[in-house]
Amino acid sequence: MFGYYFKLALGSLRRNAVLTALMIAAIGVGIGALMTTLTVFRAMAADPIPSKSRQLFAVQIDNWGPKKGVSPGDKDNLQVQLSYIDAMGLMNANAAHRQTVMYVTGFALTPVNPDLRPFQVQARAAYADFFWMFNAPFRYGGPWSAADDSGHADVVVIGNELNEKVFGGANSVGKTIDLDDHEYRIVGVLDRWQPTPKYFDLNGNTYGTPEDAFIPFTRAIDQQMASWGNTNCPSGGGPSGWDARLQSECIWMQFWVELPTPADAARYRAFLNNYAAEQQRSGRFSWPPNTRLRDVREWLVYQHAVDDGVRILVLVSFSFLLVCLLNAMGLMLAKIMGRVADIGVRRALGANRRAIFSQCLIEASVVGLAGGLLGLLLTALGLLGLRSLLSEDVGRLTHFSPADVIIAVTLSIAATTLAGLYPTWRAAQVQPAWQLKSQ
Amino acid sequence: MELGPIISAMRRNKVGAIVVGVQMAITLAILCNALFIIEQRVALGKRPTGTDEANIVVITNQWAGHPTDLAAKLQGDLAALRSMPGVVDAFASNTYPLSNGGSSLNLKLNPEQRESTAQTALYIADEHGLQTLGLKLIAGRNFTADEVLDRMPGTNVPPSAVIVTRALAEKLFPGKNAAGQSVYSEYQKTLAPIVGVVDKLQVPWTQAGGFGSKFNDSSLLEPYRHEAPYGYYLVHAQPGQAVAVMKAAEKRLIEVNRARVLQKSQTLTEARAEAYKDDRGLVIILGVVCAALVAVTAFGIVGLTSYWVAQRRRQIGIRRALGATRTAIIRYFQTENFLIAAVGSIGGIGLALSLNLWMVTAFEMERLDTRYALIGAVFVLLLGQLAVLWPALKAASIPPALATRAA
Amino acid sequence: MLKMTHLSKAYRTEVVETFALRDFSIHVREGEFVAVTGPSGSGKTTFLTIAGLLEEFSGGEYQLDGANVRGLNDNQRSKLRNEKIGFIFQAFNLIADLNVQDNIDVPLRYRGFNGAERRRRIQEALGRVGLSARSRHYPAELSGGQQQRVAIARALAGSPRLLLADEPTGNLDTQMARGVMDLLEELHRDGATIVMVTHDPELAVRAQREVHIVDGQVVDMAPQPRLVEAAQAGS
Repeated sequence: MFGYYFKLALGSLRRNAVLTALMIAAIGVGIGALMTTLTVFRAMAADPIPSKSRQLFAVQIDNWGPKKGVSPGDKDNLQVQLSYIDAMGLMNANAAHRQTVMYVTGFALTPVNPDLRPFQVQARAAYADFFWMFNAPFRYGGPWSAADDSGHADVVVIGNELNEKVFGGANSVGKTIDLDDHEYRIVGVLDRWQPTPKYFDLNGNTYGTPEDAFIPFTRAIDQQMASWGNTNCPSGGGPSGWDARLQSECIWMQFWVELPTPADAARYRAFLNNYAAEQQRSGRFSWPPNTRLRDVREWLVYQHAVDDGVRILVLVSFSFLLVCLLNAMGLMLAKIMGRVADIGVRRALGANRRAIFSQCLIEASVVGLAGGLLGLLLTALGLLGLRSLLSEDVGRLTHFSPADVIIAVTLSIAATTLAGLYPTWRAAQVQPAWQLKSQ
Repeated sequence: MELGPIISAMRRNKVGAIVVGVQMAITLAILCNALFIIEQRVALGKRPTGTDEANIVVITNQWAGHPTDLAAKLQGDLAALRSMPGVVDAFASNTYPLSNGGSSLNLKLNPEQRESTAQTALYIADEHGLQTLGLKLIAGRNFTADEVLDRMPGTNVPPSAVIVTRALAEKLFPGKNAAGQSVYSEYQKTLAPIVGVVDKLQVPWTQAGGFGSKFNDSSLLEPYRHEAPYGYYLVHAQPGQAVAVMKAAEKRLIEVNRARVLQKSQTLTEARAEAYKDDRGLVIILGVVCAALVAVTAFGIVGLTSYWVAQRRRQIGIRRALGATRTAIIRYFQTENFLIAAVGSIGGIGLALSLNLWMVTAFEMERLDTRYALIGAVFVLLLGQLAVLWPALKAASIPPALATRAA
Repeated sequence: MLKMTHLSKAYRTEVVETFALRDFSIHVREGEFVAVTGPSGSGKTTFLTIAGLLEEFSGGEYQLDGANVRGLNDNQRSKLRNEKIGFIFQAFNLIADLNVQDNIDVPLRYRGFNGAERRRRIQEALGRVGLSARSRHYPAELSGGQQQRVAIARALAGSPRLLLADEPTGNLDTQMARGVMDLLEELHRDGATIVMVTHDPELAVRAQREVHIVDGQVVDMAPQPRLVEAAQAGS
């Protein structure tokens, strides 16, 4: 019977071409708008490392106490970064399965060829665990060793783009590059890597690409490499000079740990509390321990990784789709009320309620299917528009995946069928006797 | 107008009327909230920096390696820039308006005070700063050359004097002349004299509801030579020569010293476009969605009313035969739509206000001005009248003779 | 074939209860051609809608083709309607959006016949009413008489046990009406059981017997065998 209903649906839709076009256009526009914003939203709200998002944790320690200065984004009396003192305290305690402290810095890279001009290289100072923890993909070579960390070695892992730029994409492991007048030996080259959002450091561009190069944290501190990220200092006087900065309560480092099991996480939470309690006993903190361990997903929510503008757009486009569906529902209702006579005849000729119900519902689904296909087209256009309107980092998130095709069409059919339920139910209520009596 | 029959006709087609009414209510709720957001973001992107944006060029300078005598290098660069044709003046700073990066300070009136009085952005400038940025001095004086001190970033050198913006002055010394007063910076632990007040200088941060949005015009200039491995040269070009000066200046700086990276050069006009790009994008997208929403709602009303007209053709013919004029038929459909739209609008205003209330808590959003909801309601009513006009005219053209024909 | 005993049908409004049929009994045997007559408002149409399982009744018994239909649910009644009854309406009730063969196809689809079977039946029914050449025409392109013949073809296609006709010539001019009546008589000769409701005594005489209804009750159920000479003259 499905084929028959489908045929009937097509015929019925063709006969009311204008009305059908209106319905399909309304649903298409609604689906298009929602899919466009949803694509960006999903990219923003996506889990950047699904296999480990419950095992990687950002660490927070309140080292400013209740009387604090101003730190952007602090909502719960907790700073989003750590001071050097606390970062090193945790590193030395070595209480996690894997751990790394890190911060953003940068160099000028001077090419070997004297005709080429120096260019900027953004770098992240971290421990070797960084690569293992965050599943950084290597094209050539690999991370540096723990010995390199403790030896403050002048080694570097470079990103794919930098390798293309300097070595034309060849295996550059073992070669050196001149970063701020010092030769660094390349131990690894990363493959293309775009964790979205850049969850391990949300201070700068939330959707930016990872840095061009990575060097051992110990080496960066030796070299007194300034932070290129955010630095926030509590009230009570700013540090003057490098050593004073290291000893200050200014916050400028991120600290992440990998804890494979919930039990590990619970142990680490206790450890953090102990650490803060220790600081209180020693007189550095004059307040009770206030520490937090958040896994990747919690961290993204806490840090508000999804842009407010995009949230508003999703909200607006959801409501818009609702209007489009109400619209389609009204038109379907009108259409069915105009066909009551035909339905009455069909009922008299032996169609039961289910037959009428199926016939009308399939008609609604066909509208949904057509609306979904139109919606896909509009989504492609919408994403193209978004890319030209939004900044490069956000614009990069506007990619359409094959899965979205299925989502759009399924959503469209489901939503339209749902909107068609009431008109269809009304159609099924038509009495077979109706037509006879009216004569 | 005969309301009774209209209402009883609607009651017989309850769901159709409800669908249209709810649709209009949601349309109204989205429309006035979206327009409110649009208006706010547009206003956000129009906030002046207080500088002569079109003629100011920013050059990002990063020294390669570990350069010695940064002081001499800085003076060499500035001398070269200032001597270029087409350049009015130049200085070096830690940040620039619309850059979205910089430092902030908490200010007090004296060291004993517990809570800070004002938060401010910090701009480093020498005696050329005011002229280069094109700031208007409204009280006191500019920095003198003697007041400008050497300072490496990360070191703490007490400032010999400061210049504040009018907004900051108002916060620190309401109703008083700030020039001649002193202000205490918690970070620097010094009481510094305020020597001048400028009319306006926006903080470097521009994000809606982001850092700095609470003290948008509170800026403080401190007299230092910015001797840093990383910094910005701000150059004021003669009117209309900004782009030419930018290219020439980059070339000149390379000639002076090759061991540097000029990462990014732009005019402040370009910096503005970049800073507000996502806001502008949001405005355009919301605008397009609103237009589509209005179109969908309007066409929905047209479609549904056309159907009602088609269904009541015979009835309308009978009415005409019984003496109803064309105008009366048009009025009928207009009144019907007005009733639905009026109920929808009342619901819509409620929905709009509660949607806004929720957004205020969920996002960095301001309270919706009730006037927006009222304007939106009027708009939706007019939209309904306009949309219903075509089917109503079609209904009016039904001949009275229809009544005499068999169904 | 069709047997109603002490059947009643009441229409209830908020204020009053009116009986459209009251203590109504009728028995139509297999192969009979019965005309049901009566003045306007006598309950003829109500009888037909109940006989056709389009509406339920309030009291009494109704046996269709040996089966008691009392208390059947909507699905069961739809199925019975589809399999056992063919309708011929005064206003033809063809679906304007479907062409002739698709109109005839409607009950066959609900019957669940396969494609070949449906095609065969459509051709046969169309041949029966003499409209094979018009199978792709739309109702609006046909005359009233042709439309009614399509409706009869649609009623016949499912080989129903019982044909119910409601003023089958009411919307036709005399000439077309005669053609339709001839067709009904021919069907009857071929063995169809037909119940025809009409207020026209001239039509009624062409049936085998006439049942007269007044105020929802059968007035005269005496068998009135008639000659069928008119039928031969028709076709």
